[in-house]
Amino acid sequence: MPGRRAFLGRTGAGLAGLLLSPGLLESCAPGSARAHIRGSLRGANQATGHKLWNPTKLPAPSRTIQTGIIIVGGGVAGLSAKRWLERHGRPDVLLLELDEQVGGNSAAGRNGVSAYPWGAHYLPVPDPRNHELLEFLREAGTVTGFAPDGQPIYNEYHLCLDPEERLHINGHWQTGLVPEMGVPAADRQQIARFFALIEEMRQAKGQDGLDAFVIPLDHSSTDEQFRQLDALTFADYLTGQGFTSPYLRWYLDYCCKDDYGTTAAQTSAWAGIHYFAARKGQAHNATSADVLTWPQGNGFLVENLRQQAAEGIMTHTLAYAVHETPTGVEVLAYDAATHETLRITAPQVLLATPQFVTRRLLKDVPGLIQPRQPLHHTPWVVANLTVDGLPQGPGAPLSWDNVLYGSPSVGYVNANQQELQLGNQQKVITYYWPLTDEAPEAARRRAYKTTYDEWLQRILAELEKAHTGITARVQQADVWVWGHGMVAPAPGTLWHAERQQMALPLRNKLFFAHTDLSGMSIFEEGFYQGIRAARQILSGV
Amino acid sequence: MGNEPVLPPPARGRRAAATSADHLPALLLGSVFVIATCGLIYELIAGTLASYLLGDSVTQFSTIIGAYLFSMGIGSWLSRYLDGALLKWFIRLEILVGLVGGFSAPLLFVLFEYVSSFRLILYSLVGLTGILVGLEIPLLMRILENRYEFKDLVSRVFTFDYIGALLASLIFPLVLVPQLGLIRTSLFFGALNVVVAAVALYRFPETRPYRRSFSGIMVVALVLLAVGFGYAERIMSYTETLAFQDQVIYSKSTVYQRIVLTRNNRELRLFLNGNLQFSSADEYRYHEALVHPAMQALPRAKRVLVLGGGDGLAVRELLKYPQLESIRLVDLDAGMTALFQHNAMLLALNKGALLSPKVQVINGDAYQWVRRDTTRYDLLVIDFPDPSNYSIGKLYSTSFYRELDKLLAPNGLMVVQSTSPYVAQKSFWCISHTLQAAGFHTIPYHTYVPSFGEWGYVLAGRNGHWRGDGPLPAGLRYLTPGTLKEMLHFPPDMAEVPTEINQLNNQVLVRYFEDDWGPYTH
Repeated sequence: MPGRRAFLGRTGAGLAGLLLSPGLLESCAPGSARAHIRGSLRGANQATGHKLWNPTKLPAPSRTIQTGIIIVGGGVAGLSAKRWLERHGRPDVLLLELDEQVGGNSAAGRNGVSAYPWGAHYLPVPDPRNHELLEFLREAGTVTGFAPDGQPIYNEYHLCLDPEERLHINGHWQTGLVPEMGVPAADRQQIARFFALIEEMRQAKGQDGLDAFVIPLDHSSTDEQFRQLDALTFADYLTGQGFTSPYLRWYLDYCCKDDYGTTAAQTSAWAGIHYFAARKGQAHNATSADVLTWPQGNGFLVENLRQQAAEGIMTHTLAYAVHETPTGVEVLAYDAATHETLRITAPQVLLATPQFVTRRLLKDVPGLIQPRQPLHHTPWVVANLTVDGLPQGPGAPLSWDNVLYGSPSVGYVNANQQELQLGNQQKVITYYWPLTDEAPEAARRRAYKTTYDEWLQRILAELEKAHTGITARVQQADVWVWGHGMVAPAPGTLWHAERQQMALPLRNKLFFAHTDLSGMSIFEEGFYQGIRAARQILSGV
Repeated sequence: MGNEPVLPPPARGRRAAATSADHLPALLLGSVFVIATCGLIYELIAGTLASYLLGDSVTQFSTIIGAYLFSMGIGSWLSRYLDGALLKWFIRLEILVGLVGGFSAPLLFVLFEYVSSFRLILYSLVGLTGILVGLEIPLLMRILENRYEFKDLVSRVFTFDYIGALLASLIFPLVLVPQLGLIRTSLFFGALNVVVAAVALYRFPETRPYRRSFSGIMVVALVLLAVGFGYAERIMSYTETLAFQDQVIYSKSTVYQRIVLTRNNRELRLFLNGNLQFSSADEYRYHEALVHPAMQALPRAKRVLVLGGGDGLAVRELLKYPQLESIRLVDLDAGMTALFQHNAMLLALNKGALLSPKVQVINGDAYQWVRRDTTRYDLLVIDFPDPSNYSIGKLYSTSFYRELDKLLAPNGLMVVQSTSPYVAQKSFWCISHTLQAAGFHTIPYHTYVPSFGEWGYVLAGRNGHWRGDGPLPAGLRYLTPGTLKEMLHFPPDMAEVPTEINQLNNQVLVRYFEDDWGPYTH
């Protein structure tokens, strides 16, 4: 699914969070077949966030706070940086987050039936060479130890419970997401050839001896024969390789949408291959195909990052300007709860915010590196539906990830998948829908104008195709519109000098960390970006 | 269509013949609507029933629809051989359709358990109904041919035909199946066909000569259909009893499962969702083998936890050890434990075990329970249903066994009912290997239970200290030190095979179980 590792995106939720605060906007139209459904449209509380665009209307600073390091943005990158700084002797960190909660794209909710994700909801079993990530997972209780051969042992309640995936195709639920039911032999051959190619890419090393595709992606080989793949779209690459099967192409489109919020035609070929070829997880009790998941999705990871980062987090706080001073920086921040403006000074600031926010905050600061081409963020719609049963067609039983062949959505996950008890009919399902039909800007504008009832109608119409009668079983449905879901790894955005330069500090005062700097929005990249920036701060580069 | 007059003037020469019944064509068009609805309903019933009983709804629906439409074609072709008093033919036909179509659902339900070739019966009935229904429209068109101009006749008849079809296809899934059920729907529409016949009989003057005799037939047909309607519940439960060899003496659907108790001269049998749980004739073999190999090795045991086993039969065996101070039984289904606490016949069987003051019955989810419980038990008796689906498969995983490890006293033992090592060799050994992966020493054993076949158990402990020479309680009917020794021996057809470990994230056991038992159930 989407939020999958994906979604992690809004690492620096600092200001982007403006688009996300929940706000109850409307409930269902009476008299329709959906009249019994309770729920509301959430997200898009732009009121606080939009103050950034017009900071002159904010009150003048009423007091000044001094601190060691300011972090703007409490998404995964910001939290990861804070955690790293604290455990390396820097407790004097103040993190500013616009939202009422930290976590960015890993937001989560809870009702009487289950906790559920609002965004990113899983982490593939990591590459064991990613020591920092493994150490974090050990502290979170997800890694419970190491086998004699050094392989991590995972907490089995955190590994996605079987059955993991199913696909609704030709009126039937099949096991697994790669189309099989009723797929002609010629298409099956292409699918097999594609996975053989991926296996080759997984093993591939560049002339520098480094793996061609790794997470974090900055550790990948610099060899041009692989990096040049960033110049073309994944769709063109596939066509060039003779992968024309509509079943295969649907599947790969689905994968790109799921992880990046983009179609194969909007995705860099390097990123498209990276999705598969960088999965190098190993474990004593799991395989590279396994994923870690929790009822609240990656909200679990964020909560652990937050706990490990202890004190010093101000939520509901909008940083709206960053200035350099002779001794460091000053950040002007508006506290939406007390309606007062603070001047916060520190020798250093880390901007864990998406590019469009960073540029706004630093509009008076010289020397900021621009990306070679503008970055785009696909809008997403996520809906959590509480059902008292799921009318089920023929085939495989309810799984964690349930995908509908040919749907514009990327399907739904069962938030109750990790539940162990028997016979509980009530469930929460989380439906993910990247809005890829239009350019991100147009899709975003349209999404903000769409009413709760329209969303609900469209989502239920999709679900009814595989679950006839589900509408009557829905008790509650909340819909969240993410204006800027995840950064799109479009062709040409990954391998150019500017992307790496954007991550370099300016004058040892301004530091940067966000998945925008990776070019793809997955948890591991946000986590890595935070540590990378924290190390720059600690080493005084 | 445009400007054509809606009702063309009837041909003059014929007018006299039609005068007595000017409204009658409209009546017949109304019948088109009714019979079209009925016709499609019979088709839907056959398709649905075939899907219910035979599975694979796509194939069933598609072949039923094909066979039905083809039979209608045969009916249409046959209609040319009907001559003479067409209205009389039509009335006969409607009564016949009413009976054949009306009784199709109850007949198929009942016959399903009796006949070896159900498909033959199914398609014969579909074919017969199709032929009769196929005769209807051509016959009606011929009756009406002199009352309308041809283009209007065709237009009207088919309009009503298709509207009827639409109505049927909508009310069938939305109203009829949920409200009436298949059997009542079928009988109800049969009655409608007969009513069409009755209306035609009484409204057309030319039927006078045979009104009396036909009235009698119709009354009989309607009474039969009405009786069937009234007995629909019984027919349903009768078909359930047919699914079991013996007489059903108790059946109840709880939140979790359908409990059915059957009896014959010799034995009482309990079925959960159609799967045999025990037969009173030989359950002592199963339960003695479940409990005593572990208990005879635990002379100082005081506390026991039983998971599953809501029938109280394992507890009955445990109560033969006076040193036990408390037995806690956790079973999901309160309906099950209540039945075995109150029904006299069942109390005789479990000797009132669940009413003993030493026994505490908890209705709850076993996995949730073991994660919360902090008691240390000397023995854990794990008596769950076989791992036939992912929900139950979790209760056979490394994670679950590690939770149990926390509840086990230092020298405690645990015994797990482990399906048949003969039928499900891989499943059985997978359970043993999974227990080993969770850190236990295992002692697999098996016994023969006539109503089940060869059955397996795995005894598990933290060390390999188990011995089979402890004292057994008096009065056992099966287990002796000698039988115990034999139970440990696995002949080659049940011998240990390599398997994967059953984990929550792979659930290999459920797949093994499907593969192992699949050939026996399909």
